[in-house]
Amino acid sequence: MEDEAFTDISGKPISLDCQTHSSFCREFIISSPKVSMGKVMAYTCSVWLLAYAVFFFTQNTAVLSGAILVTLIGMMLHIHFVKVDHESLLVIGSLGIQVSSSYASGREITTFIEMSKIKDIVINEAIYMHQIIYYLCVLLKDPSEPDAVSSVVPLFQSSKPRLNCLVKVYKSCQEILSKCQ
Amino acid sequence: VVCYLLCGLHIFIMLENSPSPLPERAIYGFVLFLGSQFGFFLYCLWAFVPEDWLHSIGLSYWPQKYWALAMPIYLLVAITVCFILLFGVNMSNTAPLDSVDNITDVYAQGQSTESSRNGGIPRLKDVSISEVNKMFYLSPSIAESTARRN
Repeated sequence: MEDEAFTDISGKPISLDCQTHSSFCREFIISSPKVSMGKVMAYTCSVWLLAYAVFFFTQNTAVLSGAILVTLIGMMLHIHFVKVDHESLLVIGSLGIQVSSSYASGREITTFIEMSKIKDIVINEAIYMHQIIYYLCVLLKDPSEPDAVSSVVPLFQSSKPRLNCLVKVYKSCQEILSKCQ
Repeated sequence: VVCYLLCGLHIFIMLENSPSPLPERAIYGFVLFLGSQFGFFLYCLWAFVPEDWLHSIGLSYWPQKYWALAMPIYLLVAITVCFILLFGVNMSNTAPLDSVDNITDVYAQGQSTESSRNGGIPRLKDVSISEVNKMFYLSPSIAESTARRN
């Protein structure tokens, strides 16, 4: 179990946890920072103050109840659909890889890709918005055409770690893939 | 022989496309400059002369004076929106992170795989991303230099 101080592409700290379950099975978990109470309080206070200002001018109480509903529903949707708590990559040699991301509300989305479909796991550079970032991705191949890349699955999309973290995960994955593909 | 050489040289210069200044281009530029200044003078004339005078001369079917102000403003707003639109079009045309276009394309897949002759310069070709990754991140000497650079 290792834990070092890595950051994502915008500078926020993330943590990488590498677990070696056996000689051909490794798991990498990247955790993003949790929802900070300060930010939640700031957003809620600003929305409610704004609603109170509107109520002060229009004297319409529906604005206040509307603001309360909006903040509650907004927070629930945010932690259920948007805020990712940790993303994990489980590599099992000669079986496949499992990619899962779990959200702050506890919801988990898991995908399994079997080894016959995997061509390679590589670090690629691509244009993302206004910058060029490194990202780890799985190259999938069609079993009928083993030399061509049929599709690309980017990994760690919500946490977007920087190159030092990606290189660590890449080296570890390549050790298993080169042995047991 | 001299005429033949001069003829060949003239054809050679004509076939070459270069942005260097030429007498013809200077003339075109000056004509355009004069034309645009005259066109602006006519536009100001139309904008300032009252409608009655224009009607009395006989020019009755001209656009409303509203357009003398509206057209430049429309043009400026259109240019500003075009800037923003261009940025948006560029961003939407960028391939997303999960697209195969970030990895390879038709030309790289269709390149020939024959090996070079012994002692010859290897053919220029696209190296696959797996090989590039192995070279950058798995080989120790280059990995250290890229780590130092980052």
